[in-house]
Amino acid sequence: MKLITLTVFAALVACASCTDKADRSDKPEGGGSSVTHVTEPNDAIDQKLMVALSQAKNFHHKAKVYMSDGDTASAIASVREILSLRFPPNAPEAEDVRNDARALLARLLVGQGQLDEAMNVVKEGLGSSRESFFTANLYTVKGEIHEARAQLLDATDKAKAVEERHAAIESFDASNKIDKKLQDQLLEPR
Amino acid sequence: MATKRDDDDILTGSVPSPEDEATPAERAHAKTFADLVDKTLAGRTPPAMSADDRALLEVATVIRAAAGNAELATAKRDALVESALRQAIGGKAVKSGAVTPIAKARARRAPWIIAGASMVVAAAAILLWFAAPRRVHVVDHVIDHAPAALQDNWKSRPADPLIGPISRDHAGDASARLDTIFADRLDGYRELRMRGGH
Repeated sequence: MKLITLTVFAALVACASCTDKADRSDKPEGGGSSVTHVTEPNDAIDQKLMVALSQAKNFHHKAKVYMSDGDTASAIASVREILSLRFPPNAPEAEDVRNDARALLARLLVGQGQLDEAMNVVKEGLGSSRESFFTANLYTVKGEIHEARAQLLDATDKAKAVEERHAAIESFDASNKIDKKLQDQLLEPR
Repeated sequence: MATKRDDDDILTGSVPSPEDEATPAERAHAKTFADLVDKTLAGRTPPAMSADDRALLEVATVIRAAAGNAELATAKRDALVESALRQAIGGKAVKSGAVTPIAKARARRAPWIIAGASMVVAAAAILLWFAAPRRVHVVDHVIDHAPAALQDNWKSRPADPLIGPISRDHAGDASARLDTIFADRLDGYRELRMRGGH
């Protein structure tokens, strides 16, 4: 009986070492996991997107607090932070959130009399290829900037002021055109 | 003539002459020893006896065996004959208390052999189960490369349907719009997490 017990024990020890080797050779390099992960397509909402949206939200609330205190410069700085947030690549929300932040930033800059800087911010956003309600909003803000410029030119250069007002009308028209197009698309039966 | 003392010390005492008349003590001693020998041959050896008697008894037993007259007890002899006859006609041998057949001795090992073999088989099964390659890893990779279908609200997507047209009066309400977008995406993200996704 002792002989049988010893034989079984020896076999267990020998095969346990074989098992270890087999496991190591089976696992992919870098360590494998036996947990099954369901991989989602690249367009799934993920943690990176939620973190970026949350950060943008906080910067917006921060800017609101600064604006309520009359600290426009700090509000502008807070909104600019949104433009430098890192979103997942190709996330459509990233473009929408940034364009909305650009519209707010441009309005704040207009309030500070920084019309050229405001126009640069708007044009940067309009450079994106996709039409959205947010780009339409940017066109609206662009029109407001042209209006502000026209008011400044009324006293010095009437002709340029008229040009700015025409540009403003064109911007508002562009905004309306995009809005209508998108609304029609949304109303189309799928 | 041997004295009583001599008779009690038979190994070192003086040897009486063959013509000497036996003393009553010698006769009594001889009778006692004769009874002892008879009882021993009958299988009823007393549990205790003197060292001298034991030595004499052993000598007597050897002499009797050497003379070839040793016989089994009647009962034992009958049992052996009966057993031999039964085996000759194909029956089982009668059990004998003194002799253990070889086949019976082997038969006693059978349970241990079966138990040992069962242990070996069980150990081998356990080892094979542990040593089997982990196919789970292969399955992992297959699933990893299979994109799962997603509901629309689980996808990263444009916020236009959620926000709608932005009126000029609300052009600066970016914070409120972002709150709406965040809440919507959080709902989708939670659903995705609860079903075992990211």
